[in-house]
Amino acid sequence: MNFGKQLKEGLISQNPVLVQLLGMCSTLAITTSFFNGLGMGISVLVILTLSNIFISLLRKIIPNEVRIACYIVVIAGFVTCVDLILKAFVPALSNSLGVFIPLIVVNCIILGRAEAFASKNSVAASAVDGICQGIGYTLVLVIMCVFRELLGSGTFGAGLLGGGELGAAPGLRIIPEQFGIKILTMPVGGFLTLGALIAAMQWALTKANNKKKEAK
Amino acid sequence: MKISPKFVLKVAGTLTIIALVTAALLGLVDGVTRDKIAEIEAEKTRVAMSAVTPAGSEFTDALDISDSVAAAASAQGGKVVELYGVTKDGVEAGCVMKITASGSQGTIVMMVGVDANKAITGISVVSHAETSGIGTKVVGNDLNDAGVPVLDQFVGMSGSGTLVVKKNITPITTATVTTKGITTGANAALAAAEALG
Repeated sequence: MNFGKQLKEGLISQNPVLVQLLGMCSTLAITTSFFNGLGMGISVLVILTLSNIFISLLRKIIPNEVRIACYIVVIAGFVTCVDLILKAFVPALSNSLGVFIPLIVVNCIILGRAEAFASKNSVAASAVDGICQGIGYTLVLVIMCVFRELLGSGTFGAGLLGGGELGAAPGLRIIPEQFGIKILTMPVGGFLTLGALIAAMQWALTKANNKKKEAK
Repeated sequence: MKISPKFVLKVAGTLTIIALVTAALLGLVDGVTRDKIAEIEAEKTRVAMSAVTPAGSEFTDALDISDSVAAAASAQGGKVVELYGVTKDGVEAGCVMKITASGSQGTIVMMVGVDANKAITGISVVSHAETSGIGTKVVGNDLNDAGVPVLDQFVGMSGSGTLVVKKNITPITTATVTTKGITTGANAALAAAEALG
């Protein structure tokens, strides 16, 4: 097990959103404010880590023929737990994320990591994988949120900063309201931002690869 | 291929055990969070009810919706989902109800308060699926074509079925259908309040 290598994979070379292109639906839908992005990212991180640990624990018991069904039961269980806990203790986040929390059940990142990693590796390695992939997902969400929020509504940290209740805080105003590019806060803005991010990531990865080749 | 009973037992058994353990875990979490969630939901309903009734109103627990009340509301095109009595300073002061009526994109759920004289004390929208930027103007209580907040114009109006858009209710241009949906809900609420007696 190599924590540094797994972290680098989760963040950069095997980033779940930008390289593996998993979990796009939630990425596009909820990245409108800093609060949403961070909340969703952390929820997925927790669920991914827990389900990775359990699926890795059970990997020798689960018959190959029904493995997907078993994974889904485990994942759905954890998602429902997180959903209930958020509803009870962080209602502001539960309100603003709405149906996207229950929908984590079908988020491909979690099933993807269960199938590709947790079912083949030790418990500790799977836990680390869950954390690293979760951080990678959260990082992309936060970058997209900051970008869309800043250029779309002209604020930073809506829901968290700028006074007011959690979830209803206006955020710090950086660009005057009338100069916001409204299209970025709409779904189409999500596609544009994600497209630009994936392109930037591919460019950086290709450049790094080419350099490696030249060095050889 | 012949499937051996042992194999079936193994597959079904594993899946059952995993499902049971998950269910037990969920039961545990539910036990911790159930009361808290119910409390938050009740608080939400209370806030929504306070918004459509005069300040200082108190509310009874949810009342049963009789057939005649339901029929009166559906004759006006709406549906009563929840019904609460209102008291103010210890005196009965009408009722508040959660009403559904169809808007331009789907069902609009609204809270409507009606006083003892069967006149509307306020309307607020609880949830909806109206078009962002168009129907949401009505939901957000923006100014109507006459310069009055669109939901506030209902306050004080009475007589089920007498509220008609473009007659005594002024819509917001481009959001007429949403305004009509709210008006349907208002008529239904008045009909239900009249049926309550």
